[in-house]
Amino acid sequence: MKTKFMLLALFVGIATASVFSTRVVQAQAAPRRIEVTAKRFAFEPGEITVKKGQPVVLVLKSTDVAHGLRFRELNLDVKIPKGDTVELPFTPDKTGDFVGHCSVFCGSGHGAMTLTLHVMD
Amino acid sequence: MRLLIVLVTAIASVGLAGCKADPPGKLETKTVTFAKHHIFIRNKNQKNPLLYSSETWADGKQAFSHYCVACHGIDGQNTGVPFVDHISPPIPSLASDDVQRYTDGQLKWILDNGIRPSGMPGSKGTLSDDELWSIVVFLRHLPPAGSQGVPEIYTH
Repeated sequence: MKTKFMLLALFVGIATASVFSTRVVQAQAAPRRIEVTAKRFAFEPGEITVKKGQPVVLVLKSTDVAHGLRFRELNLDVKIPKGDTVELPFTPDKTGDFVGHCSVFCGSGHGAMTLTLHVMD
Repeated sequence: MRLLIVLVTAIASVGLAGCKADPPGKLETKTVTFAKHHIFIRNKNQKNPLLYSSETWADGKQAFSHYCVACHGIDGQNTGVPFVDHISPPIPSLASDDVQRYTDGQLKWILDNGIRPSGMPGSKGTLSDDELWSIVVFLRHLPPAGSQGVPEIYTH
């Protein structure tokens, strides 16, 4: 009887833990989606504010030529083919202001094509 | 009136003769080289925020390939550039002592602002700071002359 009770308690414990852990995973798996348009020679919006630890997906859409987005300090780099849309999922793990640059040469204003990411606590 | 025509013709002739892309003399070369290193090219003390690594070198090579190769070749040593002997002042090999004696900060200044009136354009705004500093890394570790082939624009 005692053994049965212990097995039952163990089963209930495992079931409870799995339900809660699933909820936690589901909560973490719902990232904030931010749409960004890339067009010679600017990202729109040009500044984004996100929270440290909050999963984010940048939905990057090129409306003209091929572009790219690179944050060297955050080890993020993605190419955006001409007229295409790509997703860049990440979770910022440090606070600060980070400047991302277009990483595919796109013409005379390429060097000034930036996206500033503000990561807050 | 006649005198005026003669005068204008004479001035134009002198001007056109002065426009020929003859190679500069030794004195001109020495004077200009000294002036560039010690007076005109600033930013001597700025350090490169990018350390050398295979990644930053590859970034620099990539950024260099956008349009620098048209005059400097893929190797930075003018390989395959068809007009290299017909331009004045001549395009230096970027591996040369005259170029390598610039500090990293001066090389970045040149990349930002260009050198007047050599034909070297400034790239500030056209390339990002990050790309320009990576080019400085590449310039400090140029591949062997001729090892990278000829720029594609000169192969057809």
